[in-house]
This record gives sequence, structure tokens and C-alpha cells, in this order.
Amino acid sequence: MKSKDIQVLINGQEFKAKEGELVIDIARRNGIFIPALCYEESLKPYGACRMCIVEIKNEGVKKKITTSCTLQAFDGLSIETDSEEVLKHRKVLLELYLAQAPNSSKLKELALRYGVNRTRFRQKIRDDDPLNNSCVLCGLCVRVCSEVMSAGVINFIGRGEKTRVNTPYFEQSELCLGCRACAEVCPTGAIEFRDDGDIRIAASWSNTKVELKKCSMCGKYYAPVKLDKKIDTLYYYKDRDDELRDMCPDCRRKAIARKMTLIAENEVEKYAK
Amino acid sequence: MNKEHVENIIRRYENPEGKILGILEDIQETYKYLPKESLEFVSKKLGMPLSKLYSIATFYSFFNLKPVGEHIITVCMGTACHVRGAKDILNNLIELLKIGVNETTEDGKFFLTTEDKHFSLNTARCFGCCSMAPVIRVDDKIFGYVTIKDLPKILKAYGWKSK
Repeated sequence: MKSKDIQVLINGQEFKAKEGELVIDIARRNGIFIPALCYEESLKPYGACRMCIVEIKNEGVKKKITTSCTLQAFDGLSIETDSEEVLKHRKVLLELYLAQAPNSSKLKELALRYGVNRTRFRQKIRDDDPLNNSCVLCGLCVRVCSEVMSAGVINFIGRGEKTRVNTPYFEQSELCLGCRACAEVCPTGAIEFRDDGDIRIAASWSNTKVELKKCSMCGKYYAPVKLDKKIDTLYYYKDRDDELRDMCPDCRRKAIARKMTLIAENEVEKYAK
Repeated sequence: MNKEHVENIIRRYENPEGKILGILEDIQETYKYLPKESLEFVSKKLGMPLSKLYSIATFYSFFNLKPVGEHIITVCMGTACHVRGAKDILNNLIELLKIGVNETTEDGKFFLTTEDKHFSLNTARCFGCCSMAPVIRVDDKIFGYVTIKDLPKILKAYGWKSK
């Protein structure tokens, strides 16, 4: 069934949308900034970080503040993304996050955007924290690892103030694909990976080591072997050239281009005769 | 009866996630803790990542990830017991059993075991018998109105020898 076309009001401006769409999606599509730490389009709404709060301003409805990443749009919905009350809450949240993750430069940047440059709360600093005292426990890495990559390498450990994210038993994981999806989605830039020759090291995940694949043309290490295999089983077509299989994307493109030129030249010669 | 509703209830329990706590509980009842191999085995059997099982096991203070002693002593640290000197009792037990002070296990839970694996010591919030404060529990038996003087006597009944 096709969903209904509706109109929503964001900061007094009217926007077209589909019924049931998430308000954060509508706003971002139209260039309205709503900050969020735990929101990622490819995952189910989670509503953990509370940064994306907005105020519902519909007449006759009691004033209400809610997270825009879980709010489904309906016709005539009217919201305010930066009302006085929303900003007040958001600033306190940012202060709390600054105390939880004092080392994250990404977080500091976001806080500055709202004029928050210090925190009244005690900063949580752990010596040799593998996440560099930058983790706000938003859960994106955990969810992306199990829901998108179906790897389930990391998860929350413990609870309350002592909660952290890591591999089970803090041991190197054999399941890690080395895809770096966790680092990619991390809103605070807490997760660290580094490539050392033919090995990729997940420094944040108990120094898990993943083997990298070498390009058969230029000799560059370009992707983890396990990830390559996984993509291969999903997308590899039998009629594809086998020599292309072990090439890095750059060389693969060049090789395909060369081949196409050769074919084209042959065709030209054929017609010239 | 709404058939659909009942079916929905049944479906809730088909999900392996709903069974995990029960499974882990039964494993702990047998081994008194959750051996690493057992978690790995459960993970394989249910097709659930080990990271998730470890997450659950560390979340609930009920689960132990390290082998525990033969007898488990739990000191109540609830408000009533605290007021009547639970801290002294705990410190005294640590001294009597010769377990390192301020030691916590890797997973951050307070659970100390003597070297000969005879006793384990941990704390709890409240047993619900505040009128008998301060209270300690050894295995399944509750001891109320405990004083520091009583402790050696209680421990001796469970095979403790003063060194």
C-alpha cells in the first residue's frame, strides 16, 4: 500500500512528506539540521542519545518534547527543532556527554555549535581506555556489527557506570571482518583501526587482527580477506573475469577500461577493412 | 479467546532471546559459574554471537564468570545493615578469609574467592529482613544480628580453620 502524502510544519515552514516517515529524515532531507548521535538511516530507530529532541507545537495538544528519530509524521504535524526549551535540554545533554567522553573532538565541536564549552559534571577519564575516553555508549557500533554486518563481534559489557563496548572476554575476535563499519558510524570518532602491512589491527577491539588482501597488479593491500570473501559469495558473478577478482578497485577499473579500449580498437579495425 | 493474541504470546517464547536467561541460569546452577566453554557452546547451538551472551552475563550480577568457592557468603549492604555496621562485618570477613581488600574481578563485579576455593565473598543490596540487621547469608542460610565476634563461629561451621 502506498503511504499518504502529507504536509508537516518544521519551524513554521511547510514540507511535503509521506505519512509515517521519521521526522528527522524529513528535516535532514530539507536541509534542517537536527543533531543526533545514535541515529543511522540503515538501522532501526533507537532513540537512545536524545540529542534529536524536538518540540511538538500542534494546537490543542499538550506541549511535548520527543525524539525526532522515533517520531512518525502525520498530516498537520507541527514541530520546532530549536525552541528555547529544546535548546535548554540539549545543552544539558551535551554537558553530560562531554563528561562521559571528554576526549572526543567531534563531540566538542558539536557542543560548541550550541555554545557549550565546558561541563559542570565530573569528567570520566579511564587510564588506557581502548576507546580513548571518547565513547558515549550510543550503541551504533554494536548495532551495525550485528544488524548490518551480521558479525556480532562487539557488544556492551557490564552495566551502569562501568558499561563499555568491547569483544567478549576482552580477547581478540575471530569473527571480526575488519570492515571498519563500526568506526565509520561512530559519532564521536572513538574507534581506532590501523593497517600495518598485510594486517589490519582493531586497536579498540582488544587488538583484534585481520589479514588484508593484496592487489595482484599494484601490490597494494586493499581489503580484509574475510570481507572480500563475504562480498564474493554475495555478489560474485561466475562470468566475471577471474583476474579482476584479486585486484584493488583502482586496478580493476583500469583493467576494465583497457579491455574496453582494446575491443573498441578491434571494432574500428574491422570496419576499416 | 482471541486466537491471534494467544499465538502472539506463544511466539514471544519461540524466540531464542527469550530463553537465554533460563539457559544461563540452569548452567550456573550446575557449575556454580558460567564456564567460558559453556558460553561458546550455547552461542554455537543457538546461533547467537558470543558477544551478546557475554553482554548478558556481565549485565546481571547474578551470573558469575569465574569459578566460585564451595560456600558463598553474601553480606547485605542495604540501608538498615549499613547503619548497623555491615561494612565492619565485610572488612572482618575479608580479613578472616585472607582475601585481598578492594579487589574486584575483571568484569567489575565484587566477588572474591579464597585461594583454596573454599569460600567466596560478595555483597548484596537487601535480603528483605532488615529487622535482623546486620545480616549475612552463607549458601542458602541467613544469619541475623551478626556481630564481629560471631563470624569465626559461623565460618567454622562451614569448615573454616583459623590460620
